[in-house]
Amino acid sequence: MKNIIIKKNENLVLPVIWRGKKKEISYNIKLAGVGSSLTFLMLLLGKKEDKVKIQVNVDHQNIETKSKIIVKGIVDDSASIDFNGLVKIEKGSKGSNAWLSANLLLLSDSAKGRAVPALEILENDVKAGHATTIGKINDAELFYLMSRGLSKAKATDLIVQGFLNGFLNYEK
Amino acid sequence: MDMKKSSTINNQYTYGFHKPEKSSFKTPLGINEKVVEAIFSYKNEPLWMREFRLKALKIFKQKKMPSFGPDLSELNFDKLCFYNSPSNNKFRKWSDVPKDILDTYNKIGVPEAEKKFLAGVEAQYDSEVIYSNLKNHWEKLGVIFTDMDTAVKKYPELVKEYLGTLVSVDDNKFSALNSAVWSGGSFIYVPKGVSVPIPLQAYFRINAKAVGQFERTIIVAEEGSFVHYIEGCSAPIYTNDSLHAAVVEVFVKKGARVRYTSIQNWSGSVYNLVTKRMLIEENGIGEWVDGNLGSKVNMKYPAMILKGKGARGELLSLAYAGKNQYQDTGGKAIHLAPNTTSTLISKSVSKNGGRASYRGLVKIAKGAKGSSSHVRCDALLLDDKSRSDTYPVNDVQEQDVILGHEASVSKVGEQQLFYLMSRGLDEIQATSLIVNGFIEPIVKELPLEYAVELNRLINLSMEGAIA
Repeated sequence: MKNIIIKKNENLVLPVIWRGKKKEISYNIKLAGVGSSLTFLMLLLGKKEDKVKIQVNVDHQNIETKSKIIVKGIVDDSASIDFNGLVKIEKGSKGSNAWLSANLLLLSDSAKGRAVPALEILENDVKAGHATTIGKINDAELFYLMSRGLSKAKATDLIVQGFLNGFLNYEK
Repeated sequence: MDMKKSSTINNQYTYGFHKPEKSSFKTPLGINEKVVEAIFSYKNEPLWMREFRLKALKIFKQKKMPSFGPDLSELNFDKLCFYNSPSNNKFRKWSDVPKDILDTYNKIGVPEAEKKFLAGVEAQYDSEVIYSNLKNHWEKLGVIFTDMDTAVKKYPELVKEYLGTLVSVDDNKFSALNSAVWSGGSFIYVPKGVSVPIPLQAYFRINAKAVGQFERTIIVAEEGSFVHYIEGCSAPIYTNDSLHAAVVEVFVKKGARVRYTSIQNWSGSVYNLVTKRMLIEENGIGEWVDGNLGSKVNMKYPAMILKGKGARGELLSLAYAGKNQYQDTGGKAIHLAPNTTSTLISKSVSKNGGRASYRGLVKIAKGAKGSSSHVRCDALLLDDKSRSDTYPVNDVQEQDVILGHEASVSKVGEQQLFYLMSRGLDEIQATSLIVNGFIEPIVKELPLEYAVELNRLINLSMEGAIA
């Protein structure tokens, strides 16, 4: 368990990459200071029998705090990813924003994905949202690229790259 | 709806009145073998039901309280009456119903609604169904719509075939409790190919103080049939808590469609802890329209088990959490077969310190190829005392699927408010309008009289919300 406290007006960008080694990843992050902000970028690449359980807790404890958690996972072979996020905005943390998204792309028939993006909001002067998608590569996209002469493998590569690219160009 | 009258009422809960308590039979407070035996013998049930009840009681005692959601530690089983029968009789004509009880249903508007737009009505008062009637036309087509107690005696084989098969006795503590002391509820059977285009309605009313209501409902829609069932619930305002723990099992056969609309508007002293589940077979459609306005603590997650190829499930859930209310609601979709689809849409509004939580589960099992699920939950927080939570579980074990989930939490937008106020509305009117717009996608699916009632309720509660 990693504990992180973000102080007044501090802006933390935290990139995390998982490539199959760890079995468990967990973070406890507190936005403690006024105007503190967090950008949490998580890239998950699972292959073979890789298995991971992730817990990310973010607690907005002060006014005008911002958090953005973006999780992108590629799940191949028999790998499995279990992502649990919990963003809490405490009472009185006015003017805070939270965004939590988790997208898992399943590349093989025996890949598994689980995502629980939870929110607990105790203050109304906030904006909070989350989104999740879990699924395979879009057939229509694949078909389009293959109709242009790309092999299936090449087309898949390209789509996966696109999926991850959005991640690198995250908005501040 | 009498709008003039209602706009001057301070107390927004108009169903809070109560009639003198009448019982022709009542068990002592608390729950034990004696109480269960007493219910069984008073009801004069077949022996197999005694076994069912006693076994359930044992399981109830062993089971722990739910490990998630609201705190239920104040719920005291020793201070509750588990069975209270207001009358020895069941009636098929409103004119025969005892005056106090008839009065209650008149105030709620049930007989009126029956005349106008329902195919059949059932009314449960505390533990027993006091009135039930199905229009002749449907009876002739082989449709069964009766209370569960009558069904146990009249159609025992049919009941045995389904009872407890979808929500097993040991599913959770409250399904066990319900199985031990159940009384009343609806039994609906729609034969193959029969479509009942106008709704069947049940109305559940708790009148006595500190009483538990444990109705048990089974709906069976045979191949290619259609039925729409509506239930409404209300209770007086008491300082002692009441408990409502229902179990509902809905069977949607091949190509059939069932819509289950539930509007719970219990008073603020009721714990509403119910287990509702639908089993949907090949190309069947199961729909939950679930409105949660009342009760003190509400735990309700209607489930759709998509068992057959191409089955479809839809949930529209609305929760409204006011002062001292905790709405822990949501839904479940479990995809077990290929090409199954589900949509879960939830909207919640919290105000005056209320807490609304969405608790959802979408599970797509291995082999459910080509399935898709879409979940959307939005929450509106009207003041800084209230709270909103979202706990969605998305579990995918099959590659060839599409699962999407999105949620947002917000307050009433200042721009929206400013715009409406610049057009001459005051803040209360403007807020009401915005809230009504927010819940509109669900309200439009409600039967008209409920939609009107809901709008009225929202408008009324806004008046107290903004000082």
